[in-house]
Amino acid sequence: MERSSGHTRMLMRSCLLAAAAAVASVMSTLPVSAADEVSQERLLNVDKEPGNWLHHHQNYSAHRFSTLKEVNRDNVKNLKVAWTMHLGGIEGGGIWSHGGLEGTPIAENGFLYVTDGWGSVYKIDAHGGRGALVWKMDPKTDRDWAGAVACCGVDNRGVALWGNLVISHTLDGRLIATNKETGQVAWQRTVADPDKGEVITGAPLIVKNMAITGVAGAEYGIRGWIAATDLSTQKEVWRTHTIPGKGEPGSETWKDSNNAAAAGGGSTWVTGTYDPATDTIVWGIGNPGPDWDNAYRPGDNLYTDSSLALDATTGKIKWHYQHTPNDPYDYDSVAENVLVDVPGPSGPRKLALEADRNGFAYAIDRTNGKFVWGLPFVKKVTWTKGLDPESGKPIEYDPNKSVQAYIASVTPSRTNMETHICPGNMGGKNWPPTAYNPDLKLWYIPVIESCNRIKVEVMTPDKLKPREFWTGGGPSQPFKITGSVTAIDVTTGKIAGKMETPFPNLGGILATPDLIFTGQPSGEVMALDAKSLQKLWEFNTGGGVNAPPMTFTVDGKQYVAILVGLGGAWDKWFIDATPELKKIQPGSMLYVFAL
Amino acid sequence: MMIFDRFPVAAGTLLASVVALNFSMLAAAYGQSAQAPTSDPTNAGKAVFGKANCMGCHKWHGNGGGGYGGDALSLRKTDLTRDQIIEVVGCGRPGTGMPFFTRGAYDEVKCHDMNRQDAGAQMPPEGGMFLRSKDIEAVADYVIAHIKGAGEPTYAECIAFFSSSSRVCDVYKTQAQKPDDATASRGKGQ
Ligand code: HEC
Repeated sequence: MERSSGHTRMLMRSCLLAAAAAVASVMSTLPVSAADEVSQERLLNVDKEPGNWLHHHQNYSAHRFSTLKEVNRDNVKNLKVAWTMHLGGIEGGGIWSHGGLEGTPIAENGFLYVTDGWGSVYKIDAHGGRGALVWKMDPKTDRDWAGAVACCGVDNRGVALWGNLVISHTLDGRLIATNKETGQVAWQRTVADPDKGEVITGAPLIVKNMAITGVAGAEYGIRGWIAATDLSTQKEVWRTHTIPGKGEPGSETWKDSNNAAAAGGGSTWVTGTYDPATDTIVWGIGNPGPDWDNAYRPGDNLYTDSSLALDATTGKIKWHYQHTPNDPYDYDSVAENVLVDVPGPSGPRKLALEADRNGFAYAIDRTNGKFVWGLPFVKKVTWTKGLDPESGKPIEYDPNKSVQAYIASVTPSRTNMETHICPGNMGGKNWPPTAYNPDLKLWYIPVIESCNRIKVEVMTPDKLKPREFWTGGGPSQPFKITGSVTAIDVTTGKIAGKMETPFPNLGGILATPDLIFTGQPSGEVMALDAKSLQKLWEFNTGGGVNAPPMTFTVDGKQYVAILVGLGGAWDKWFIDATPELKKIQPGSMLYVFAL
Repeated sequence: MMIFDRFPVAAGTLLASVVALNFSMLAAAYGQSAQAPTSDPTNAGKAVFGKANCMGCHKWHGNGGGGYGGDALSLRKTDLTRDQIIEVVGCGRPGTGMPFFTRGAYDEVKCHDMNRQDAGAQMPPEGGMFLRSKDIEAVADYVIAHIKGAGEPTYAECIAFFSSSSRVCDVYKTQAQKPDDATASRGKGQ
């Protein structure tokens, strides 16, 4: 009797404890106060809440700069792992044997929102110095359907917040709104169609109650677009094609008789930026297709390889700036355009900065799309002698020619069917985001220092088939590929420093007042001095870093978080250029560091 | 590791036929000793085609194609015999992206009469997993029975391959097989 009643008391006590814990956890997830509702006001003024990270690219200008400085150059050497969390989503599907992590966590009031490659969303409570999963929303992505037409991996770069909703994408083309408190799907809408080779990998951009979606698929003969969905009515507000329709301005830059424009590419799979002063969205546009057979599509092929400015309310095109006309290299311009204001002779200059796959960094006047400066940020460029200082076009560009050859001896073409080219088709700079320190006016580029070999395949209209590659050739990797972090002084348009790395930078960069954080696909996360780029701290995660770091506070303490799990294009298509990375195992893990 | 000059095809094919015998003897010695074929070799081979990720390069339909991975040849249009397929899968194809799937190939198991040193820059990549000789035979049987010589991929073939509820096959539906799900899959309210 005694013993059994003691046992009962124990049971009772643990029940009570459990109940108390349950109440506490409900309490901690309950407060649906106005402070937790994400509004346009908050998205415009993220500097007022430096402990949160509300935008994919940190702010509307894609600075990826945090003013937090509890962790700084004097103490960063003491940075340690605070906690980690295993995530899922490494399953294969379609042509992919496994997924990877490319996302940027979003942080709000001590909660993190992260995604895995198949688009599951995880809400994690980061209070109390550890991470606890609050909920996971699994969208049950149709893996074979989407994975078969994802050129470059099972990827999802993260979520956005709006009202009490978490807004996310899936590879199979959906836009999903999930209740932030419960993790229940509030609604979903199909935006892209994998039957046409369209998939979605980017994070949504939220502008004025709209979710802006970009699409991938230029290797599968899509005609790219950017689409805006009203988050209240769930209806499409506008959809702007990145390749003009027949008769529209720009259609004259598709001069062929094959209707190449209809399958002309122009993907938009990296989240763009927004300038509220002019209500303008600036978005990077991908390569034309077929990638390497540019004789199939004579003409400049607008708006491929361009920075495109759109009226946010209507989706109307305001201006464009094209980097590589009639691109024969797969040098897309999907990268984020970083919006910065720098002092100029006649008042502040409003620039849009873009680090292109073609190896050049560009500053464009974002009020009119005019070229300001450009320079190579990679060590080796073989396809052009440089940019025209007035127009910013490659010097060899000839507007009277419909098929550009640039430096013909290295350029893939129907008369040069096998060639070596630098940068290789991964870039330059790929999707991993840059960061900008507005105090130092330094812009940090995660660089792939590369060359590769291209074989051209002459395309004919009968080769264009739904859901099949439409590339006009392909790359192989006879050369070792390395990387660097390259800093550019935005006031001069000159390189301010370069920190070379043994492997390409496949993760991107976070800037803080006196540091930058980045990683390597061989596993290291590191902190560098913001000015000298000297390495001050390093930790090996034991996985492959393929995602950007970010920082936030909870309980008044600063943390640095990064997703770790090598996936994406690299370990399927480019691994031969970095044979050492073959030993990196697929993985899926969130690392969080603190002092 | 990718190679500039392709392994000369004519020489390769010649070698292949010479080596095929030699190779399968070795493979048999190395792997499971001769076993009775399973009652349904074609299904076992289909499983291998998926699990060894042949479909990662050759696609589910075997047509391969260009793209980011260079060109995986079409297995639908291949002229290779069963023995030659077994040999290509086991040893890979030197100087190309076709990986080898036999454990110990170019080490204990000689391929094209070469070891790693001999192969040098021509050394093909290693498959994502190793296959036993029984699995290699099964996948070759599957390729012969279902892929080699087939025309354009069809909806029926695709459904048979995936036997799942994935929409991966919808694109192969003929007009008659399509209700109006072309619009349904686009979502409403646009
Ligand atoms: C990493 C990509 C890759 C994988 C995985 C792969 N292959 Fe291949 N395969 C190739 C390439 C590339 C070629 C073309 C080689 C050449 O150019 O001669 C090829 C060629 C072949 C050939 C020769 C076809 C011919 O007509 O000469 C056969 C047979 C073949 N593969 C079967 C398979 C099977 C079966 C599997 C799975 C066990 C497989 N492959 C996995 C890339 C791959």
